Amino acid sequence: MTEQPAVGVDLGRGLVLPNPVGLASGTAGYGFELAQLIDLDRLGALYTKGTTAAPREGNPPPRVAETGGGMLNSIGLQNPGVDVVAAEYAPRWRDWAIRVIVNVAGGSLDEYVHCTQVLEDVAEVAGIELNISCPNISGGLDFGRDPAEAGRLVGAVRAVTERCIIVKLSPNVTDIAGVARAVEDAGADAVSAVNTYIGKKIHRPTGRSVLPLGTGGLSGPAIQPLALAAVAAVCDAVHVPVIGVGGILDAASAQDFLSVGARAVQVGTATFVNPETALQVLDGLGV
Amino acid sequence: MTADLRRAALEKGEVLVVERVGGGILELVVRLPHLAATAMPGTFAQLRCGNGTTPLLRRPFSVAWTHDDTCGFVFEAVGAGTRLLSELQPGDAVDSLGPLGHGFTLVEHGPVVCVSGGLGCAPFPILINELRRRGVEDIVVLNGARTAARLYPAERFGRPAVSVVAEATDDGTRGHRGSVAELLGPALRSHPAAIYACGPNPMLGAVMRALTASGAELPPVIEASLEAPMGCGFGTCLGCALPMLDDDGGSVWRLCCTDGPVMSMRGVDWTALSELPGADVA
Repeated sequence: MTEQPAVGVDLGRGLVLPNPVGLASGTAGYGFELAQLIDLDRLGALYTKGTTAAPREGNPPPRVAETGGGMLNSIGLQNPGVDVVAAEYAPRWRDWAIRVIVNVAGGSLDEYVHCTQVLEDVAEVAGIELNISCPNISGGLDFGRDPAEAGRLVGAVRAVTERCIIVKLSPNVTDIAGVARAVEDAGADAVSAVNTYIGKKIHRPTGRSVLPLGTGGLSGPAIQPLALAAVAAVCDAVHVPVIGVGGILDAASAQDFLSVGARAVQVGTATFVNPETALQVLDGLGV
Repeated sequence: MTADLRRAALEKGEVLVVERVGGGILELVVRLPHLAATAMPGTFAQLRCGNGTTPLLRRPFSVAWTHDDTCGFVFEAVGAGTRLLSELQPGDAVDSLGPLGHGFTLVEHGPVVCVSGGLGCAPFPILINELRRRGVEDIVVLNGARTAARLYPAERFGRPAVSVVAEATDDGTRGHRGSVAELLGPALRSHPAAIYACGPNPMLGAVMRALTASGAELPPVIEASLEAPMGCGFGTCLGCALPMLDDDGGSVWRLCCTDGPVMSMRGVDWTALSELPGADVA
């Protein structure tokens, strides 16, 4: 019998994804809905909804708006808080084969550190994805925009965890490679790129923004070429594994990210269109 | 609490007909055996509109009725997605994800009052059919729209037709001139066991005000099917937040797709809801 090639993706610190295809943060909740719709355990990783220290109610509606080939969202990090995730959600992941990586968000360095500490002893948590780039709340994005601040944040989180730290990068910067290098130098094990692009939609009859906060995060196939360019730049800049995310709709658009050097991918908005997209990407990649 | 999605499934169905049922109202009939077998009154399906990336997201449609292995959906061609649906031809395929959402609480006896505004007619044929199957015969339909051409035809609410359909139009082109909420008074005198409503949010707010102002003793089941701009339809994007009241009377966000779309009208924060733009803005 011929030996099968290894398809696992080693992200560091013992986190090996069974395959490169994951579900992007904010498009899969904490997995419980999609677990009823698709065979989650065939996928490599689930990156949870952005999780903060305290519960967050989220932004006023409308929270989503459709645009050409994409959608804007302004959810506002609605989540139950890290204590609920650790105590009530994590035990439900115990029998899952898919690696659950908790996306941690915050408004302050202390909040990121606190969340990471709460999750540190939770066995079901496979890793931490630091969301330094949510465009829909104030605070978090500042870390993602400034290489020095991003490095300081990652250094502080690095000091309190032995787990694999993946840093999710914002594309809403001048030099994403510079931020990527800074978080690598500060101890990140991997980076994921990119989060959503800041976008705006006008309700034409009134001339006002559809989203009450004025802007939201743009995702969907419209951003795939933009994300691909950003991921290529990040891959050239760092040695740690890069996870490509942004507008993946099928295996071909996922392969583009692997072609520029990404080691894994995340399927996001396309899951809303078809919950089976990530499985189709996995099958199409033949990994 | 995690939504129960165990009945939901992806399904590609064959279009049987897109029928104009009056004015701009269209009825799409698709062979969708799974949805037809599992949809309950008030649940919905996420339909893909076209095969491209614009429009990208599925659109939620109440299951209007089921018959054998087919399902009916009622809509108007008002946006990019519904225009594509309106152009479907018999034999074309429609991609459905459903049934989704939390439907109406079904009562075991009448009388029952159904209040429909415009395309809010959509969930009532399946509801009325199910209520009749349970032996509820005393069903009153109050049907309102902006103008006569946008009234869902009375005979389509039930087969055989529902005996009482009182109509109202904003412009007085048919029935009572004014809001359908103004027709509630006589219907309430029958001491209904349930009141079900569906329509634009302002119309539902008017119904709730009319119910409260009537002074009548109201039944435990007063429910409305609500709408909100929706991303996924199955509880993961958190996009379709609606303002509801918590146990202490404070306002909390609940998801239209999985907590609703049918909500107890007593639990809706009508003031906050009235300040939101309609689902069509997004």
